[in-house]
Amino acid sequence: MREHTNTPRLQAWHGYLAALLAALACTFAGYAMQPRFDLVNIAMVYMLPVVGIALLSSRGAAIFSAALSVILFDVLFVPPVGVLNIEDAQYLLTFTVMLAVGLAISSLRERARLEETGRINHAIEAERERMRSTLLASISHDLRTPLSVMVGASSSLAEHGEQMPAAERSALALSVSRQAQAMAEQTEKVLQMTRFELGDLELHRDWNSVAEIAGPVLLRLREALAQHRLLTDIPGDLPLLRVDAPLIAQLIGNLLENAARHTPPGTVIQLGARKLEQFIEVTVEDNGPGLPEAALAGLFDRFREQRIGNTSGGVGLGLAICRTIVKLHGGEISASPRAGGGTRFTFTLPAEAAPQAPAEQESAQP
Amino acid sequence: MTDTRATILVVEDEPEIRRFLRSALGTEGYKVVEAGSVKRGAIDAASHKPDLAIVDLGLPDGEGIELIRQVRAWSPMPLIVLSARAGEAGKIAALDAGANDYVIKPFGIGELLARVRSALRGVVRPSGGGHTLKLGGTAIDLDARTASRDGTPIHLTPIEYRLLTCLARNTGMVVTQGQLLREVWGPAHESDTHYLRIYAKQLRDKLEPDPLQPRYLVTETGIGYRLFCD
Repeated sequence: MREHTNTPRLQAWHGYLAALLAALACTFAGYAMQPRFDLVNIAMVYMLPVVGIALLSSRGAAIFSAALSVILFDVLFVPPVGVLNIEDAQYLLTFTVMLAVGLAISSLRERARLEETGRINHAIEAERERMRSTLLASISHDLRTPLSVMVGASSSLAEHGEQMPAAERSALALSVSRQAQAMAEQTEKVLQMTRFELGDLELHRDWNSVAEIAGPVLLRLREALAQHRLLTDIPGDLPLLRVDAPLIAQLIGNLLENAARHTPPGTVIQLGARKLEQFIEVTVEDNGPGLPEAALAGLFDRFREQRIGNTSGGVGLGLAICRTIVKLHGGEISASPRAGGGTRFTFTLPAEAAPQAPAEQESAQP
Repeated sequence: MTDTRATILVVEDEPEIRRFLRSALGTEGYKVVEAGSVKRGAIDAASHKPDLAIVDLGLPDGEGIELIRQVRAWSPMPLIVLSARAGEAGKIAALDAGANDYVIKPFGIGELLARVRSALRGVVRPSGGGHTLKLGGTAIDLDARTASRDGTPIHLTPIEYRLLTCLARNTGMVVTQGQLLREVWGPAHESDTHYLRIYAKQLRDKLEPDPLQPRYLVTETGIGYRLFCD
């Protein structure tokens, strides 16, 4: 978009220069032609730059070119030479014709340019529309399925609960509860992505440790990770980071959940962190089947899962939210094939010089 | 479950939410008093003298935090907040106003009941004197300032004792970062969260079997800490 608004301005500036150079060129050509051609033909030569400038540059440059051509032609070729002869109606006509041609061409060109811009805007609008309908489709799928379960199971309970065996009743109730829980999580993700896109988010940074953020996440995801083998490698001496802890917790949680959801049971999932020069790097890797190269590109775009045929739930916002959180913190996130099979997600967070707590006076100990 | 039939005041304006709270709390053996507004809640808190109150933050005639301030002015009863808000600021404000814990809507009933039990237990236990904490194999005497792990004495620093004392006042309940920093290091250090991170790590290294996944000194990310005892 930006290129399109800049281009005509550049051409306009160049247009005036081109008009000047073209008029000079015509003047030389005119002198060369003078012995053998009529004045009216020399006037035709002066018409050329007007047409050219009107085609290639702005309306202003075209008017400038027409005026310049008429003045030069009048002063240098129409007798008496060396005087601007404005009373001669003939040459006023010449000027009017040149101006009319210049304006006509540049307005035609303007119309074509507007149509082009309109076409581009239309394409952008269409893309936006496509995103919107993808979002709607995925949300309605993600909401309708659990809603169907909830309405069906709960109405069964309400209407036939008494005739059911107790185990049947609890199974139905549990499925209502699980679906509702999943729906609550999806809703939260959509709301959060919306807040991100509206720019309605302020980071609450304070000093935190990766280990302390990761602990509660692992506790919360105990059930989701129960089928996998979890390994952790977070050194105790990592420096503290100034981050928004709940967002980083969500980021780590999304990556772990993502790994658990897309790899078969028994897969090893490893959460690691290490200090680099100016960053702390956190990795979530698995030794699952891995992702094809094609799927790695655009992995952090919204609604990706829907596009590659999502069967495991989720509107595909999880990784997009991850990317936004990392960017907000001034870090980078990427996904790559893991050496030896599987996928490796890595994000970095800038490490500032971490402050120390004041030393304690141990003499206060009773 | 509870032999004394603890009374719980539920202040929530949504009748459907009150319905399942009443049902679940009743099934657990609690006596339930219901109120739908700040005003009604304040009256019921004074007249029924409940053992615990569950307060929704958004009430039709005002903010639940108002009710929390009012009740906290005259009663130490545990207050659990129901918060629909995702933001941490609202929860911290409620906790700093005197609430002891929070549950985010939508919540599973198991989660709420666990908080209720934990809150009621916290009240019954440390009724003055003999502040001894038992965290698995670690025993800590907060008054004598001695500690041992699996029978072997371990050393805790004065600040570590102060931190534990502060958290032990309401075991199982949330104490905000701000409260801890104010009480342990003083009001000037209210936003020096790195002090807390450093000391929490030190304490976990001394007390927890697995410091990465702590059982006793638990972080409420972005909010504060809880201390669980055995």
